[in-house]
Amino acid sequence: MDRRKNIRNFSIIAHIDHGKSTLADRILEFSDTVAKRDMEEQLLDDMDLERERGITIKARAVRINYSAPDGEVYELNLIDTPGHVDFNYEVSRSLSACEGALLVVDATQGIEAQTLGNAYLAVDEGLEIVPVVNKIDLPSADPDRVRNEIEDVIGIPAEGCPAVSAKTGLNIEDVMAAVVSEIPSPDGDPDAPLRALIFDSVYNSYLGVVVYIRVMDGRVKAGDTIRLMSNGAEFEVVEVGHMSPFGLEADAELCAGDVGYITASIKNVGDTRVGDTITLAERPCTEALPGFKQALPMVFAGIYPADGSRYNETKEALEKLQLNDAALTFEPETSIALGFGFRCGFLGLLHMEIIEERLEREFNLDLITTAPSVIYEITKKSGEVVRIDNPSNYPTQDEIEVAAEPMVKASIITPTDFMGGIMDMCKDRRGEFKDMKYLDQTRVELFYRLPLNEIIYDFFDALKSRSKGYASLDYEPDGYDPSNLVKLDFMLNGEVVDALTFIVHSEKAYARARRIAERLKENIPRQLFEIPIQAAIGSKIIARETVKAMRKDVLAKCYGGDITRKKKLLEKQKEGKKKMRKLGSVQVSPEAFMAVLKLDED
Amino acid sequence: MPQPSKILGIYVHIPFCLSKCAYCDFYSFVPSGEEIMERYVNALLLHMSDYRESAAEYTCDTVYIGGGTPTTLPTELLVKLIRGIKKNFNLTREPEFTIEANPATVTPDMLRKLRRVGVNRISFGLQTGDNTELKMLSRRHNRADFERSYRMAREAGFDNISVDLMFGIPGQTMDSLMRNLRYAAKLKVEHISLYDLKLEPGTPLFVNRSNFVFPDEDAEADMYLRAVEYLNSEGYPQYEISNFAVPGRHSRHNLKYWNCFEYLGFGPGAHSYFNNNRFSYSRSIEKYIAGVEQPLAAVDIIDSSEEITPKERLGEYVMLRLRLAAGIKLDEFRFRFNADFEEMFGRKLVPYLRGGFMVRRENSIALTPSGMFVSNYILSDLLDFDSSVIWNGM
Repeated sequence: MDRRKNIRNFSIIAHIDHGKSTLADRILEFSDTVAKRDMEEQLLDDMDLERERGITIKARAVRINYSAPDGEVYELNLIDTPGHVDFNYEVSRSLSACEGALLVVDATQGIEAQTLGNAYLAVDEGLEIVPVVNKIDLPSADPDRVRNEIEDVIGIPAEGCPAVSAKTGLNIEDVMAAVVSEIPSPDGDPDAPLRALIFDSVYNSYLGVVVYIRVMDGRVKAGDTIRLMSNGAEFEVVEVGHMSPFGLEADAELCAGDVGYITASIKNVGDTRVGDTITLAERPCTEALPGFKQALPMVFAGIYPADGSRYNETKEALEKLQLNDAALTFEPETSIALGFGFRCGFLGLLHMEIIEERLEREFNLDLITTAPSVIYEITKKSGEVVRIDNPSNYPTQDEIEVAAEPMVKASIITPTDFMGGIMDMCKDRRGEFKDMKYLDQTRVELFYRLPLNEIIYDFFDALKSRSKGYASLDYEPDGYDPSNLVKLDFMLNGEVVDALTFIVHSEKAYARARRIAERLKENIPRQLFEIPIQAAIGSKIIARETVKAMRKDVLAKCYGGDITRKKKLLEKQKEGKKKMRKLGSVQVSPEAFMAVLKLDED
Repeated sequence: MPQPSKILGIYVHIPFCLSKCAYCDFYSFVPSGEEIMERYVNALLLHMSDYRESAAEYTCDTVYIGGGTPTTLPTELLVKLIRGIKKNFNLTREPEFTIEANPATVTPDMLRKLRRVGVNRISFGLQTGDNTELKMLSRRHNRADFERSYRMAREAGFDNISVDLMFGIPGQTMDSLMRNLRYAAKLKVEHISLYDLKLEPGTPLFVNRSNFVFPDEDAEADMYLRAVEYLNSEGYPQYEISNFAVPGRHSRHNLKYWNCFEYLGFGPGAHSYFNNNRFSYSRSIEKYIAGVEQPLAAVDIIDSSEEITPKERLGEYVMLRLRLAAGIKLDEFRFRFNADFEEMFGRKLVPYLRGGFMVRRENSIALTPSGMFVSNYILSDLLDFDSSVIWNGM
């Protein structure tokens, strides 16, 4: 009998907070191996940070042996997917390792932007989609309306689909039945040359890189020499196996249809890129699996240790994170204002926040992060084309023939009540309206083309605040457009502070300049000398403020000869000063610097 | 008995008041009756006798009884205390002997007796001559009370009188401050201490601060600089950040603090600098009395204590001497520390000298009045008590 008949490879996809991880937990409880009491909440998310933020960063896969009511034991491979727009590519690779996907929709919210984004990814991969309506225990749940919406908007049958409460465990057996009955078992030729898809890889200090794969054709076992199709690198397999809820379990071999892992003393996750194809060196396949691309960073920022003497620690921390995150890039950079640091590349803003937070939390670093930037493509008058990821390196206006900025295709789903405000905002952010589609009487999907640099400047929070939190956003890159961009410099005491330089659309320059100048004024503590603040485009000053001179900083009383108290006070003050960074000739605390760069709407 | 060879100041803290003022965070309270005062004075005298031996090689040329309000004590207890001080320490023939007093807490009889037993300087806590501002500070006296007390002191023979004045009081204006200064100058007091009102956490004024409008930083700086200028012109040259005196009448005791001379403090919350140690006693009268009464120091009354290393001594000297209008005498600095002040700090001083915050005279470097009013900023830049080298100007 073909063992594969009883294998089901599937993912769960959902908009953030619709209950993906909770449903995954409930499914794991049906496994023969996991007793409920042994389970940690949300077992699939194994990073603290993920658990805390309720989101999943790195994909994982777990095999569950499920004894179905029909008497058969099924081998279910649940492949978890990241739940954020920054990780779309990773999601698509995880999905292509599956035959089916559970599409979880919140019965109180209905379809959201990422529900659609993910559903379309699954459709693109040719997956069987099983809708699951979740959170039916909530008073405001309306499963029938949501089922209709799924049928109308996505166009897949949803009548009679499971309606569950992942939180309470209600009707989870319906989900299990649907997984077995609706999702096809894998096919593929076990005797063909090996073709295995990498959908994730994780560095482990004992095993080296653990590569998570789906075997499409052929088989692989310990001792085989594997070859990576994209770069030709070859490794000898040390171990193959699968992931149980408790960890890695070695197997004799992995065969077409299987989901599992390989270890091969690989040192660097950069060698095992998500989406790449593994084959055997001895008997290679002729053609790699489709869809491989390098995940390229889209958002860049300077990251500096608040304490300059911790540069090397920061470097080591970034190296460690990169072991597990091939999408993170960094290279050394020097700022006159901030000293030695790194220009880091991220998939998006969330990715950036996660990296910052991990650096601070796991490595105990205090960081100063510059405002995020995108890659501008500049064609110089000389004909040379340069890609600028650091605003300080932006060429002068007279060198530039054409400046182009990255664009995105964005989809926003919002209750119609907030449509007006959101459309105003998109217009204000230089968005080009493309289309709109009513999902039902109360909700609409808006399609815009927007510059990415408007998205990374606080778009997400602004969208939430204009829709009372109801609107959702999904976007994907959409090429470059020529644009009228200017470089905005800030000067303190007449000296340019490189860390504060922005690239901004010329129409936005004045407003941005005024706002940042005001922020600087509010956040720079008074010093003994008056500090002029100026914003400039080239040599033209477009905004100015002044920090007045400090005039009082004294302990007048020194009563009863209490010298110790006075010394302590000065020590404390000195301590504060040591943390200060010199922006030009002006002392500014890291907190003040970050407050100036805080991206929010006034 | 060894020949006295070093000089010493004595400070005695009297933590009693008739009522607690809204801004005050000194250790003081309203006593429950005379019994505690008597026990306390006895404890002080007992404590002083512990120092008889170690202070034997010292001559005491200044005594300062502060508080609180020392004149809350009954006259007999005050006299007993003063006699005790004289018995335990080698006072010079004409020491500066100061007592702090609040207006309306003194009587002609008390003043005469204090004078007779050797007190020769009175420091009155006037704070302001404006009755509205006095109320605002919850002072018990008004201007007329002060004038009566002041006249009594003159009549009792006090020819060295200081008044404390404040600026930065809620609602205070430049005009009302100047009226105060003119008032003090016209009375021909010998000494004026001019403090800015500091909001101390925990005080009623701090708790209710949102109900008041305080002069802002710029207004206070204007007041300060104007006051310095005015007092200088009226014959009260500034000799320290907050102190002004007619020539020869500066407070010798307080100068000990700024000159890093030694002093012994007695009483809860009192500070000492003695034998290269700075130490203080805990701010609890019960603990203090109990600790002093226990023969084997069963109750530890020390609150803080640190040995001053040579490196720290240099830093303290710079910090304290720069409070003085005379500043740092370059030759004296060289003599004391075998180092050149300008070589040590020169580069750091440049912006302050250029900005008018400091001034270089022939043999000295000093803060100007505007420099004094930002002295924390400057000192925290110059000095580093934590680092292995005290200066980082090299």
